[in-house]
Amino acid sequence: MIFDPVLLQQVINGLSLGAMYALLALGFTLVYGILELINFAHFNVFMVSSFIGMWALELLGLSGQSTVLGGFALVGALGFAFIVTMLAAGLLGVAIERIALRPLRNVRGTAAMITTIGVSFILFNVILLTAGAGSMNFPNPMPVVRWDVGGATLQLREVSIWAVSLVLMVALHLFVNRTRLGKAMRATAQDAEAARMMGIDVDRIVITAFFLGSALAGAAALIFGLYYNFTSFIIGYTAGLRAFTAAVLGGIGSITGAMVGGVLIGLVESLGGHFFATRWADVIIFSILVLVLVFMPSGLFGRAAAVRA
Amino acid sequence: MTVGETFTWLRRASPIGRIQRQTWERIAIACLFGAAILFPIAHRNDGDIDAAANALTFAALALGLNIVVGLAGLLDLGYAAFFAIGAYTYGAAASWQIAPDWSSFWEPFQWLGLVARFHETSGDVVHFQVSFWLMMPVSAAVAAFFGVLFGFPTLRLRGDYLAIVTLGFGEIVPIVARNTPSVTNGAMGLNGVAAPQLFGWSFGVDATPYYYVGLALVAFLIFTSQRLKFSRIGRAWMAIREDELAAGAMGVNRTKMKLLAFATGAAFAGATGTLFVAKLQTATPEMFGFPVSVMILVMIVFGGIGSVWGVVLGALILQLLQSWFLEDLSGWLHSLGRLINVEWLQHIELASSIELIFGLILVFMMLYRREGLIPATRRVAPLTTEEQTAAPTRGGFEGLKGLGALDERRDDPLLDIAGMTVRFGGLVALREVSLAVPAHSVLAVIGPNGSGKSTLFNAVTGLVTAEAGQVRFAGADIAGAPPHVVLDRGIARTFQNIRLFPNLTVLENVLIGMHARLATGVVEALLRLPRTQREEHRARERAMEILAVFGNRLVPRADHVVSSLSYANRRRVEIARALASQPKLLLLDEPTAGMNPAETLELADQIKSLNRLGLSIVLIEHKLDVVVNLANQVVVLDHGEKIAEGSPAEVRRNDEVIRAYLGRSAAIA
Repeated sequence: MIFDPVLLQQVINGLSLGAMYALLALGFTLVYGILELINFAHFNVFMVSSFIGMWALELLGLSGQSTVLGGFALVGALGFAFIVTMLAAGLLGVAIERIALRPLRNVRGTAAMITTIGVSFILFNVILLTAGAGSMNFPNPMPVVRWDVGGATLQLREVSIWAVSLVLMVALHLFVNRTRLGKAMRATAQDAEAARMMGIDVDRIVITAFFLGSALAGAAALIFGLYYNFTSFIIGYTAGLRAFTAAVLGGIGSITGAMVGGVLIGLVESLGGHFFATRWADVIIFSILVLVLVFMPSGLFGRAAAVRA
Repeated sequence: MTVGETFTWLRRASPIGRIQRQTWERIAIACLFGAAILFPIAHRNDGDIDAAANALTFAALALGLNIVVGLAGLLDLGYAAFFAIGAYTYGAAASWQIAPDWSSFWEPFQWLGLVARFHETSGDVVHFQVSFWLMMPVSAAVAAFFGVLFGFPTLRLRGDYLAIVTLGFGEIVPIVARNTPSVTNGAMGLNGVAAPQLFGWSFGVDATPYYYVGLALVAFLIFTSQRLKFSRIGRAWMAIREDELAAGAMGVNRTKMKLLAFATGAAFAGATGTLFVAKLQTATPEMFGFPVSVMILVMIVFGGIGSVWGVVLGALILQLLQSWFLEDLSGWLHSLGRLINVEWLQHIELASSIELIFGLILVFMMLYRREGLIPATRRVAPLTTEEQTAAPTRGGFEGLKGLGALDERRDDPLLDIAGMTVRFGGLVALREVSLAVPAHSVLAVIGPNGSGKSTLFNAVTGLVTAEAGQVRFAGADIAGAPPHVVLDRGIARTFQNIRLFPNLTVLENVLIGMHARLATGVVEALLRLPRTQREEHRARERAMEILAVFGNRLVPRADHVVSSLSYANRRRVEIARALASQPKLLLLDEPTAGMNPAETLELADQIKSLNRLGLSIVLIEHKLDVVVNLANQVVVLDHGEKIAEGSPAEVRRNDEVIRAYLGRSAAIA
């Protein structure tokens, strides 16, 4: 079977975008699974993390795309950036939960969700006022290595994005399904009240969910920077809404769903841009969001799925 | 008397106190609007008047969002979309954007003054010049249409999902505007939108006329909001906000009322959009994005969700903060910086941090003052010690003559259920249950927990769908009818785990029970003609008569929020709310649960009196003495099946019943 090379190229791009959206969608799904809260702050935790990732790379003396590293230096630099970004993002998520959301834990209705919108606005404007409105050149030490696959180009950075995403998702899967804390998390997601009565510290579970979700957003943010070579204060909104759509499409609350949904939305974005005009891509994605919520609110893997965190 | 005591006396001395307070309120409102009218005359700074006009625009938007979010409880995160629709509707009808070739088709419109014939070198074209004053209601109607269109898919969605879908629609509208340049001129923005004209005089670019139009619009929308809020319509919206399921069971047509809320809110935004685009004489898609929707949301959260004056105040403060105060404050900081020679103070621009301030306000209000600046619910004076400790008096039933009256004498059962089966996934909650309730009788349904008693009520009242079976009520088939229709036919119910409207008063809860029996619609609520006033007056009188059934337990607390009542009183309010719908049949789900023996006796006595007045009753009850005391007939359910029926004495002797309740060995012994 022979693919149209342009189409194949779009599939490759879509998979890379999808890997990023999947990581970001996991943050929505982890928090929703436990608190039934749509966390709008997640949009801009992602955006702030991309700046943290940029600063971490600049700390190593890297700037722009001219400094190319290889071998251990490259792995070390990227490893350092990933660890710093994910830790910082995770702590930011924990701080948001602790300061703004915990006091509202038992408030009925949409108060907590409205608060996350406020937090998102604060993060957005803090970056806008401190880093400015211009788009920033993101340091990228990766050498340009290309392979030709059926007429399409596959780059080293794409392969590494897939690898990193896969490792993180497998790690999360193992954590949720194989560890004691992961079991406590699944129990809390099923019934927080019963979990509390069985001796599970629900506050700790919520903190864990925020930490893990935000850390994954940190990884996604670094991937964004390395993929597009820029960052800006506005990236959170679009990427966040797409990732949220991915989480809804997969079935919000379902970890498998977030992963599959992320990849699907990535493909929709690249192929939608291929078959229709790019400027309609967002309308297609928002239409998916609305249609799924209205006609299939449990998504592809919601509720009935075995893994639900 | 101290000031506080006087105030309490004024509030409590009904009806004189109420009238006095209303008078003061009217004087305060008149002063407020007087000052607003004089403002541009006294203060001749065009920039400030312009800022005030913009602030009024946002006050109008906040009033519209308050209908949707504050009254009906539907969190709309894409509200700016309706603002955009209103703006582009006027923009397209009164600008150079759309200019088709001239043909004779347009002549009647030219005669009406809606279009003009314009000569161009390539041929004559049509120039749309529809009057601003005509387009304001038209834009409102167009936006209302889209409100219904966008609202329709969201009807069945829960709070947070609804928010996301509205956000999606809110994003789609500006993108469509950007991508259809033939109508909207895309990202460039509309060209030369016509300024409004009044008797041949054009408003031009001077801010003052727009200020007055904005003021009139806000005044009208405040009036509309207040009239709707304190009417049958507003009560139905608030009932949906408080407990959607209970609202349906009390006769509120949820589909209709939710769409009405979306349409009303959207109409407010559509009319405001017309004013906004006329004032700016252009419109770009960026003016209607998510940040604008959030800004309006911040305004109503700040002012007080659900509070009409609160949201106006919130919008005005936040807008004027942005355009007046932050500029001044930045100026002062610059001077301070020069004075003490600090470099960064001289460059600080607070106005650019307005969104940061909005975010902070949103979070702080949510954490520390969720009710906003002016809370929607008023505090009422607490009961005096004498009122609190007064001995319970017997209820009066004089006001309830005609309760449970049937149209004709019937020999067949009032309620006749045949072969009802309800399944939840694999679980059969009811299997082939049949029972009949004779008119004017009391039927008790008993059975162990999980035997399907409440499911039976839910299936009859349309809250769950029965898989099979027939339900006939007063001769008509009501199987599968939605809850509000069932209530309208004459079946009212209470819930096992009390479902009142927690943040509404006792009186409001009972008035919502009357929803199906009152006729006031939007137009009547707005006009408030003598006929409507009489209806409302009678409804309130009747509500007080119904509360009097419970003696002095509820009457002194009529203006109290139900969440502040004791458990037993909340059960009584729920029964009063059900009685308010003038039912023929009352379904009571464990009415005495959580009551002490004395309260149980009192309530059983009151239920008996209701039955004597002619009301038919089905009762789920665990206390067997109550059952024996009240019921003519008993039906026993176990594991979803009817295992026995008969008089209380017969059922007591039935082996099956003893086994179901006490286990096998007890039956053998």
